[in-house]
Amino acid sequence: LGRCCGSCSLMYMVAVCSGVPIGDLLERAAQHSDKLYSLSTTLTHDLDSHFPPMGRMIMPRPSACHTSSLQTPGDKEQALQVSESELLSLARSLLQAWADPLVVLSSSANTLPHPAQSKIINKIHELQEHSKNLGDGLNIISGKMDPTAQTISSLPYRGGNDVGQDKLSKLIKFQFLLSCFRRDSHKIDSFLKVLRCRAAKTQPHLC
Amino acid sequence: MSKTTAPVCPSHLSNVVCALNSPTSHAACCYVNHTVSFFFFVCASRRQDEEGHVRGHHRTVAAFGCPLQRSPPGRPVLLGCRSPEKETFTCRWEPGDDGGLPTAHRLYYQRERLEGTHECPDYRSAGSNSCFFDKSHTSIWVDYYLTVVASNSLGNATSDIFKVDVMEIVKPDAPQHVTLTAEDRTDSPSLHVSWEHPPNVDAGSGWVTPEYRVRAGRRRQAGDAADWKEYKAGAQTHFTLYGVHPGAAFAVQVRCRLDHGSWSSWSDASYAEIPERIGRDGPFWTSLWGLSGFLFLAAVCVAVTKRKSVMQFLLPPVPGPKIRGLDFQLVKSARPEDFAGALLIRRDFPPAAARKDGAIEPLIVSDVDAGVQPRSGAVSAGFGWDNRQKNNGGERNATREDGDGRSSTRGGDADFETRAALESDYSRVKDVTADNIFLLDSADVPRAERLPEDRGEAANGKTLSFRKESVPSERRKKLPPARPPRAARVIDGGYVDAIPTSPLGETA
Repeated sequence: LGRCCGSCSLMYMVAVCSGVPIGDLLERAAQHSDKLYSLSTTLTHDLDSHFPPMGRMIMPRPSACHTSSLQTPGDKEQALQVSESELLSLARSLLQAWADPLVVLSSSANTLPHPAQSKIINKIHELQEHSKNLGDGLNIISGKMDPTAQTISSLPYRGGNDVGQDKLSKLIKFQFLLSCFRRDSHKIDSFLKVLRCRAAKTQPHLC
Repeated sequence: MSKTTAPVCPSHLSNVVCALNSPTSHAACCYVNHTVSFFFFVCASRRQDEEGHVRGHHRTVAAFGCPLQRSPPGRPVLLGCRSPEKETFTCRWEPGDDGGLPTAHRLYYQRERLEGTHECPDYRSAGSNSCFFDKSHTSIWVDYYLTVVASNSLGNATSDIFKVDVMEIVKPDAPQHVTLTAEDRTDSPSLHVSWEHPPNVDAGSGWVTPEYRVRAGRRRQAGDAADWKEYKAGAQTHFTLYGVHPGAAFAVQVRCRLDHGSWSSWSDASYAEIPERIGRDGPFWTSLWGLSGFLFLAAVCVAVTKRKSVMQFLLPPVPGPKIRGLDFQLVKSARPEDFAGALLIRRDFPPAAARKDGAIEPLIVSDVDAGVQPRSGAVSAGFGWDNRQKNNGGERNATREDGDGRSSTRGGDADFETRAALESDYSRVKDVTADNIFLLDSADVPRAERLPEDRGEAANGKTLSFRKESVPSERRKKLPPARPPRAARVIDGGYVDAIPTSPLGETA
């Protein structure tokens, strides 16, 4: 409680001065990010259910994710020390970085050689929808915070427009992208939920 | 006082190495020349009295081939890891065969965004064959690559690499302090359950998002519970069970998960009993129920004896159907032959008497185009003609449409000559196979009460058909005149949407 005194008053000010309490906005955003993470988790499990064992061996390492260059807190202590604006900026940067790759995933899902293909296609569409809603919500929230929240780090995706030609590389790249997305969506979710709890200083029922 | 000492292998055996199998037994494996081994079971030990004289001696009870072949250890297997609160985690492994020698296990790891290979920081806190990573050694959203190495004096064995990210292994402890409160409200008794988050979970910072589930089962005499029903409780730490029966005993358990991870185990069961209802069975209520029962019976008796008037009151009679131009009672009492005649074309149609009656409204209906369809399946819509009759010249127009769909009618008195001319074109439909077709041979016209379509004398000798195409007809077959049904009488005041008109109409 004492650690975030400066930011606490910022949140309080924002909540008092704006129409919609920022806690409500963050609550709504956290619901979207929760759904994003939940969907991405079930997607990786769906894909894993019929995954060639050899594919797991040659899966690229997570450091090859296109968002790995972004420095993010690595444990609870670090996360709780980051300012709200910085947390929001991180969340927005990560979300923005997945706009293009989700399109690639969506178009590749149509030709994915996997028995659960239609389920996967539906979930990816849901992912895109929640992703867009979350992005819009975060834009609104960032407008109510200081300029640090407005900065978005650019994390371009350079993996091309498809996931490969042959069956194995398609599956591998698909699963690799999903695992990167799962991790990033969990980061976004955790950061927003920490933010939500900080805003709850004025609305205790949220935490 | 005897003191147990470690056994000593017989000295006449050279190159002998002895190792204790376990600290509590008096057994030892002795190995000779690293190849042959003997197993000695020592049941006595050296004793020293106060003066230090040796009293006992080693005695070999049994010696047989040592069952434990000395060898390098088998490969250990990493079983899995678990993080109870997303801040620390513990990994466990299964040791392989130890090769008959004391074997040590060590865990080494590499980590994403961390240089080098490191050893497990804590082998003790989580028990044997485990490694505990405390907060300072735990990072999330990075992959750990773990291996366990088993080693004894003869060699090593390395497990497979185990990859783990703390994000994927979150599984909390069960919620604690589950308390039940039976709320005895007279209208609906309920059971209120409350609990606390698992002991080490930080629920106030937002770092983890707990989600709870409650399950409740009826408690049986044996103490266990059956018919578990599970309920979602979201993020709250309380829940209310409604619809519980007084006198029932319940067992309740709660479990929890963090961030859509794995569910914890169920908490220990808490028990509660719903108190019996009071005040409902007093004498006042009994007499009240009895009195109302008596009154109810009395009312039933009265209703039964006077059921006719009750029925009159509750269900007034519905007015019967009325069709303009037809007296139903007379129709009912008519004979089949009358109807048969009514449906057939008559040469002397319409009879002069009928024409004078102003209520007759002749109608000619013909299916000129294919598009004209008979209105609704009701035969009452009017008459139709076989398509082939068109060839006879003179078109009988379908004059069906007017505001409410009733066939319009031509003027009261059609030209008699026209009628006669038309008559010759009438044909009797012998049989009809499509829907909504009515006409049959005179012989097998069923007695039908729904004959309002033929109204009065006008209907004499008329054939009905709707689906012209499918209607085979005999052309130019004149029928013997049939008697007009005496039963039919023109009655005004139509109740149904029927056209009591003659089928005759004018030419186009």
